[in-house]
Amino acid sequence: MSGRRGGPEEFVEAENAEAIILRIEQKSRKIETLLRQSRPVEALKTALEGSAPKTMDERCKSANWIVVHRAIMAIKDVDGMLFSLDPEYYDILMKYLYRGLSTGDRPTCDQCLQIHEKLTQRAGLGCILRCLADTENTV
Amino acid sequence: MAAVAVHKFAQCLTCHAWSPDYSMIALCPSNEEVHIYRLSEGNWDRIHVLQKHDQIVSAIDWSSKSNRIVSVSHDRNSYVWNHEAAEWVPTLVILRLNRAALCVQWSPIENKFAVGSGAKTVCICYYEQENNWWVSKLIRKRHNSSVTSVAWHPNNILLATTSTDGKCRVFSTFIKGVDTRNSGASSSSDSKFGEQIIQLDLSYSWAFGIRWSPSGNTLAYVGHNSMMYFVDDVGPSPLAQSVAFRDLPLRDVLFVSEKMVIGVGFDCIPMVFAADESRLWSFVRFLGQRKATLSSARQGSQISEAFGKLYGQSKHSIANDGIEPSRPRGGIHENCINCIMPLKNRGDSKVTRFSTSGLDGKVVIWDLEGEEDLSEYM
Repeated sequence: MSGRRGGPEEFVEAENAEAIILRIEQKSRKIETLLRQSRPVEALKTALEGSAPKTMDERCKSANWIVVHRAIMAIKDVDGMLFSLDPEYYDILMKYLYRGLSTGDRPTCDQCLQIHEKLTQRAGLGCILRCLADTENTV
Repeated sequence: MAAVAVHKFAQCLTCHAWSPDYSMIALCPSNEEVHIYRLSEGNWDRIHVLQKHDQIVSAIDWSSKSNRIVSVSHDRNSYVWNHEAAEWVPTLVILRLNRAALCVQWSPIENKFAVGSGAKTVCICYYEQENNWWVSKLIRKRHNSSVTSVAWHPNNILLATTSTDGKCRVFSTFIKGVDTRNSGASSSSDSKFGEQIIQLDLSYSWAFGIRWSPSGNTLAYVGHNSMMYFVDDVGPSPLAQSVAFRDLPLRDVLFVSEKMVIGVGFDCIPMVFAADESRLWSFVRFLGQRKATLSSARQGSQISEAFGKLYGQSKHSIANDGIEPSRPRGGIHENCINCIMPLKNRGDSKVTRFSTSGLDGKVVIWDLEGEEDLSEYM
């Protein structure tokens, strides 16, 4: 927890940034394969897994967001996705939905809002609160 | 129905406490007064108004053996009220705080009381016979933010606190001349006053409402991120569990037994948490509402050892994978519940009845008798 509560202007480079980026690149390739096989839920799970929220390195966070964004945008059947997504992914998915909403990009926001509605029905307001209250494990 | 009595005392209540025989209730109607009501022939009569504080009274505790009331207030002071000749006589306790006092609790043998404050400080107050005076001893420089709740361990020495810095801490409050070394606490009584036994870094947002289990083996407290934290074996190697739930955050907790905890808060309805045989805690159901299925709600939390690596390890206790019924609104409480108190007869180890009060000005008495599905945890 070295870069705890660093301001947004503060640039923190993770010591293992290269390793993280490398892992994200591998993840990205795996996701592309899964998407080609029409397994969007598997792709989303892969994207959310090991998303290293504790690092303060914005470069790593952005790299992972690109991967998660790719997986989120590939979701067509939101109900089906949430049905097969394990509850342990709910909190981290919610965080990425808020990141998506903060981009202001129209198609991204449309998709994130749609998932947000369904996810809130399923995971409750507690999930939103955990996302908003957590200032340390940000995505 | 689990709620056996409901009475609206005021527009809003900050806290309440019961007399030793539960015939009277002391409460603060969100102002600088403490009102005492007595139940006679089914009506609550206001029999005393304790006026001494200058600002809102934030907490009250009524000692069960010595029949004394302690009140703390945002005016940074505390009063101990003694019942003498049908009147309540106040004694000022100078806490030496520069911020509001927020919470108070009598120690189990009632020779001390603890006050948590917005001054990042905990006061341990005790009576000095020779000076006829309550002395306040401070635990300073331990908390990084306001102390929101205090809880006494049954051994009368250990005190647990929660704070808006998200941490839960346990201190020794041994005071020479007040406590004796062999008061049942083996290793913990060797510690000096104010020594920190443990610091738990489980929550990353404000922590509220802390209580020990009746045996003092388990701690429970809540975070403002819709999480409840359970800590077994408080000491050098604690076992911590984080339970996430799907609803709004809690404000206060109460151990009903070693295996069952009631949480109250912003969802206006008490929530039941219980531990299974392997001491895994999970959300069971709301009170005053039948549990739909027994099996689906039993996705437990995960035990994680010691500190440091606890972040992100909590599993979800999200009940019912199917369609969730809308949250029970329009229930008995109509606003946030901020206080829960046990109602138990002396000698009884388990609590079957308890009372809650909240921002809607109501006090509700709940009875767990007849809740068959919960009896296994009692």
